Amino acid sequence: MARLFVQLKLRLLRNALRSSRTAKISFIISTAFAVLLAVGTFLVLAGFRGKSTSVDLTAVIFTVFAFGWLIAPIMAFAVDSTLDPSTLALYPLRTRQLAGGLLAASFTGAWPAANVIGLLGVTVGLATGGPGVAVAVIAVVLQVLFCIALSRFVTTSLARLLRSRRGKDLAAFLIIPLVALYEFFTQVVPKAAAEGRITAASFTGFDSWMRWLPPGLAAHAIQDASDGRPGMALARLGALAAVIVVLGWLWVRSLSRALVTADTTTQAARVRGARLPLAGLGLRGAVAARFWLYQRRDPLSLIYWALVVVITLAVSASSIVGKVHHPAVILASAVFGAAFIGIFHSNSAGMTGPPFLLEATALSRTRELRAYFSGQNIVLCVIGAPLVIAACFGLAAAVGRPGFGVEAAPVVLAGLGAALGLSNLFTVALPYPMVQRAGTPVLVAAQGYAGYRIGSVLGTLAGTAVLAGPAIAAVVLTQTDPLAIRLGVLLPCGAVYGFALALAGERLAAAAATGKLPELCQAAVRSAVS
Amino acid sequence: MAADEELVVPASSAAGGLPRYQPGAGGAAVVVRGLRKRFGEKEAVAGIDLQIGAGSLAGLVGPNGAGKTTSLSMMTGLLRPDGGQVLVNGLDVWENPPAAKAIMGVVPAEVRLFDRLSGEELLEYAGRLRGMPPGEARSRAAQLLDVLDLAGDARRLVADYSTGMRKKAALGCALIHNPSVLFLDEPLEGVDPVSADVIRRLLKRFAGSGSTVLFSSHVMELVEQVCDHVSIIDKGKIVVTGTIDEVRGGTTLQRAFINLVGPRATDEEVLSWLGSSSS
Repeated sequence: MARLFVQLKLRLLRNALRSSRTAKISFIISTAFAVLLAVGTFLVLAGFRGKSTSVDLTAVIFTVFAFGWLIAPIMAFAVDSTLDPSTLALYPLRTRQLAGGLLAASFTGAWPAANVIGLLGVTVGLATGGPGVAVAVIAVVLQVLFCIALSRFVTTSLARLLRSRRGKDLAAFLIIPLVALYEFFTQVVPKAAAEGRITAASFTGFDSWMRWLPPGLAAHAIQDASDGRPGMALARLGALAAVIVVLGWLWVRSLSRALVTADTTTQAARVRGARLPLAGLGLRGAVAARFWLYQRRDPLSLIYWALVVVITLAVSASSIVGKVHHPAVILASAVFGAAFIGIFHSNSAGMTGPPFLLEATALSRTRELRAYFSGQNIVLCVIGAPLVIAACFGLAAAVGRPGFGVEAAPVVLAGLGAALGLSNLFTVALPYPMVQRAGTPVLVAAQGYAGYRIGSVLGTLAGTAVLAGPAIAAVVLTQTDPLAIRLGVLLPCGAVYGFALALAGERLAAAAATGKLPELCQAAVRSAVS
Repeated sequence: MAADEELVVPASSAAGGLPRYQPGAGGAAVVVRGLRKRFGEKEAVAGIDLQIGAGSLAGLVGPNGAGKTTSLSMMTGLLRPDGGQVLVNGLDVWENPPAAKAIMGVVPAEVRLFDRLSGEELLEYAGRLRGMPPGEARSRAAQLLDVLDLAGDARRLVADYSTGMRKKAALGCALIHNPSVLFLDEPLEGVDPVSADVIRRLLKRFAGSGSTVLFSSHVMELVEQVCDHVSIIDKGKIVVTGTIDEVRGGTTLQRAFINLVGPRATDEEVLSWLGSSSS
């Protein structure tokens, strides 16, 4: 059975490769990344040789890998059919057969191989002597087995939940800490490391609690064997093996249950209010009401808002960690935060997907389309302006100069107006279908439309930066004037300027959209938005 | 008045109950002339002509890939045709989209709705999009949900609805402004018999009031039971159109359909192992 499942996995990989050029390219890129991971991890682990903290650092890396195995399948659940045991429920298989087969399938592919090869870096970095190397090889195999068993147990236990709407929503939110973590590693860590604030010694102390986690057991077993304590090494490996057996047993039990238990989707949610809000604002109010409810209820919308905050903070992260606190960095955060609100909505029809047809069958005239864009812009502004301004204040407070936050506010208002106007224009000028891909719950351009996406992203970003220029210049040129006077003039000016830009954008977009509704509909219909 | 602001039928009358179109003798509610669409090398719709009388309940049937969805999308202003003309109650869908859309209701093939709204909110939104006062939109939404047997689920998110419930909710959205002509693409696909019966009765009642319905379907029995007019489309062309009796010509519609679009040859001998008499 294990052989059949491995063949099935290989066949699925091969078929995906044959399906399209994009699939081939993404497979090649994915394999290249797996090779990079293998080589990079091997070199990093090997590089710990001779360091006093090598066992702590190895335990950290082993834990990071376990975390990755835990998160990645949850993110990819909806698209990797080999992960959901219920798809195999109709076949006459015993649970043990199924478990063995799924485990073997998990071991198949470039990424599991990359894990084993990469982690074998410990044979150079941590292990010394024959027994040390032998224990290192066993520890790596057990570590990867642990990762797989953990991942399988968690995904199978969550299988019922993840097949439901709310479960998928939950999985979608995992992207926020991941993006935050990514931004932290790309923005903060290099800066801190360059300034000597993060060194290998920073990881001392992790050891006290991490040594008792399964990845820590694997790392310490290698050190024990290398230091001539084979008994202790074997005891640790035994403990790790026991954890794997327990996880495997739990997994088999969970699998048996998952195959015969009902989906939780039927436990549906009810909404409290019966009426759509903003009844007095006509068509504009209707669109705004629908859009407002979506900002609260749609996980994708919440993710976009969280990403706006992460991006706003990340742009100035170096300013927080670094020694030079220049206000210009926070102004850049203001522009980026505002621009990304526009970027995330610069393909409104494609992002809405097939439900856009309901709107398209009702809207035709310029004033209706103006109300459509305006309703959405009002909601984005009501949420976005305070959010980005608050993030800028947070940054300013973090650098100990709250005044910088005040200066950022007019730039946020001007930038947001520009970004919203531009997003309306790009919605009409470059409509494209969007899809959800494996590994990310956010939407990406469908195959063949990457150019449209790049155009609208760069166009909105550059356009916002240029159009926010006058506001930035006003803030910089009035540096020497008293803050109260500057605020009294700059804030209303920024608001009026931003409002004018948004108004111009939505008017131009509405005029253009009257002749392009069928094209917007086609972009929406071809979107695979769930 | 700007070109895009021209409106033959006032929006308020569409929202509040449009006066029914009164065609003259032999008048048609839907007229399609020479409609064509090509996707690359493939001619999806190869110049179709169609007339649906006012008050008629008409079916458009055809095998998969025959061009039904493409034709309906072009008739409803959702897909730009390469050529041809579509008139709905005398209004050109592509020359005067605001006026034509005001009197049309559309249920697309893939019923993907705003699924983070409740059923009640969704129908109210559809009504308000059509310019209806919020109070009236809410009142009509409640009545439609009741008739569609969705009143008990009115406050549940559409995301939690079954396929049949979604189809009924989509029908509610298409009917809330009381259109004169209703276009439905596969309205009963994936719908359970009870929901199908609700939809069927509603469509008959709607057409019985003088409104016009055009829907595509694979289900010949449904078309035979419900429709008074049927057109069979194959390879982007209308191969036959007329009353049900004219098209079926003394046999069943299913048989007439298979005869017209060509049965596929099968060699069932190769499946000699299949069945309980085989080992």
